[in-house]
Amino acid sequence: MTVYIGAEHIISPLGNSAEENFTNACEGKSGIRLVKNGNFKQDSDLYLAKFDEGVNLDAIVNECFNSLHIDKSVLTSNKTKIIFSSTKGYLSDGIEHALVDVINKFILSEQLSNTPILISSACISGVVAIAKAGELIKANFYDNVIVIGIDFLSDFVVYGFEALYALSKEVCKPFDKDRIGINLGEACSAVVLSKNEPIFNEPPLEFVSGSSSNDANHISGPSRTGEGLYRSIQKTLSSGNISKSDIGYISAHGTATKYNDTMEAIAFNRHGLENVKLNSLKGYFGHTLGAAGVVEVSMAMQQLRHQKVLQSLGYANSGDDENLNIITTTEPHQFNAFLKTASGFGGGNASIVIKKT
Amino acid sequence: MNYITTYCRITSNSISVNDCKTESNTTDLSSNLLEVYKNEALKYPKFHKMDLLAKAAFVGSELILKENTALGNYKDDEIALLFSNSESSEHSDSKFETSYKNNNPSPSQFVYTLPNILLGEIAIKNKWFGENIFLVSPTFDAGEIKQQIELMLMNSSKACFCGWVNVSDSNVDVFLFTIEQNQTEGIELTEINLITLYNK
Amino acid sequence: MLVNREELKKQIIEELNLEELTATDIADDALLFGDDGIGLDSIDALELIVLLEKFYGVELTNPEEGKEVFESISTMANYIEKNS
Repeated sequence: MTVYIGAEHIISPLGNSAEENFTNACEGKSGIRLVKNGNFKQDSDLYLAKFDEGVNLDAIVNECFNSLHIDKSVLTSNKTKIIFSSTKGYLSDGIEHALVDVINKFILSEQLSNTPILISSACISGVVAIAKAGELIKANFYDNVIVIGIDFLSDFVVYGFEALYALSKEVCKPFDKDRIGINLGEACSAVVLSKNEPIFNEPPLEFVSGSSSNDANHISGPSRTGEGLYRSIQKTLSSGNISKSDIGYISAHGTATKYNDTMEAIAFNRHGLENVKLNSLKGYFGHTLGAAGVVEVSMAMQQLRHQKVLQSLGYANSGDDENLNIITTTEPHQFNAFLKTASGFGGGNASIVIKKT
Repeated sequence: MNYITTYCRITSNSISVNDCKTESNTTDLSSNLLEVYKNEALKYPKFHKMDLLAKAAFVGSELILKENTALGNYKDDEIALLFSNSESSEHSDSKFETSYKNNNPSPSQFVYTLPNILLGEIAIKNKWFGENIFLVSPTFDAGEIKQQIELMLMNSSKACFCGWVNVSDSNVDVFLFTIEQNQTEGIELTEINLITLYNK
Repeated sequence: MLVNREELKKQIIEELNLEELTATDIADDALLFGDDGIGLDSIDALELIVLLEKFYGVELTNPEEGKEVFESISTMANYIEKNS
């Protein structure tokens, strides 16, 4: 069975549709900006990809859902399931029920046939959600699955990453030898998976396979051998009958912390993928946590559709890390399939492959 | 045929494994878990750094592993982890929020403000490299959980270690269970059976 | 200001949840980190930075410095005494 994936949508500080985000990224624009005295002690600037003050964060999920370029009857169909991916949900409204309210508020505001589920597996949530969506359709549990990733900035999250010394005081530099940490971001993004090609207004792509694996190493630091990511990529390629020569582009996780990017380089090299064109999109969106997987898969899909890959913003030179073929300028590129990877707190690692139909 | 082969229920004043119940004198989950940790000689110093959610999941998983030693026969990536709750990491979220309102944002508290960290703790202890997923849902949804288990067993997993884990000062609702394929003993995995065990 | 090493050990045990250790288990020169040490990890190192500020008013702005400062109880105490 072919599982189609399409109707990708992104609402972020960089734009209000996947196309707009892609066009702006092609022009070298970024959603990250300087926020004066944004840190805990309010004595230091931070770089964050933050929505403008006027944006209605309460309505974003509904706006995203109702803007999807698909047959509208799919939204309410009993053959449709919604999967959310988020780490902190509506935390700015208060800690209690912050995450489960993503589901509760949505079912009150939309007519749905099935109760959504919400995946909260830290930064790999989005990629895991898309993998699960594909599995649900292949298993004939549903015909259509809509995956919505959402996470917002908050003092809680900013202060937390700051306490871990994970934030960079500069614009982030994924994979660069001088990288010193992440820039956080916020976004809402969605993709639709279906066994029925006609539901899409524009031609979809094909979801091939996906998986997740744990590092079994440390709850907040990646494995030094990249074991979990290695195993996930292994499972994804083998279950999808994909060989590494089929992969024309890699959308890496690339958070710009010292350890994450080193670990990814190791895992990709262990697979012999070091020559595949690769970027991190965190320089355009910041790290959008639970939304990251969906935002970045949407952007990878745009690159596949346009046969054009984006410069890995923030990268200039590699240091001691294992070699990767990092994209240094936005350029045309002919390819048929991409690999998307993610890694996160709790030792999770996930990957998916999407290709042209 | 998929079977529920072991299960563990933790409430504020009792812990039971496969219906064998131990009651405690207090309703303080933290001290009850510590007591089990000592009595069972779990010997794992990282336990003390865990937050209450991870401690509950950890202790429950250790009791299950002691009860069902055959789980040790699976390869290191054949056991999938599937946990869920409705409260996410609220217990630790409050603690972290308190720490920064008191001017000392705590890195070790922040690390536990994600519900899936407990999956990491179990994976690390057991050196399990398999699939892992955390779901947040309004209630214990047996139908949903069963469906997710089936998906995992269709992949490369041969067994699932599952849990519904809510811990707060007012509500302790922990239900862990293992699902194995191709067994001859156990309780058949059906929605009704899961609900019955959960409500026992 | 002289640092009471026993007091420091108790604070570390308390703040880092090292419940299976007592102050007598930690020699002044025992390595704190790594497999040969008492087994602290990277998150513990960050909590030690918080501890320095909370109990001794000493700020360590660069966690990379932490490797030397937190080598043992002695090196920690010496650092506090020099910087408070």
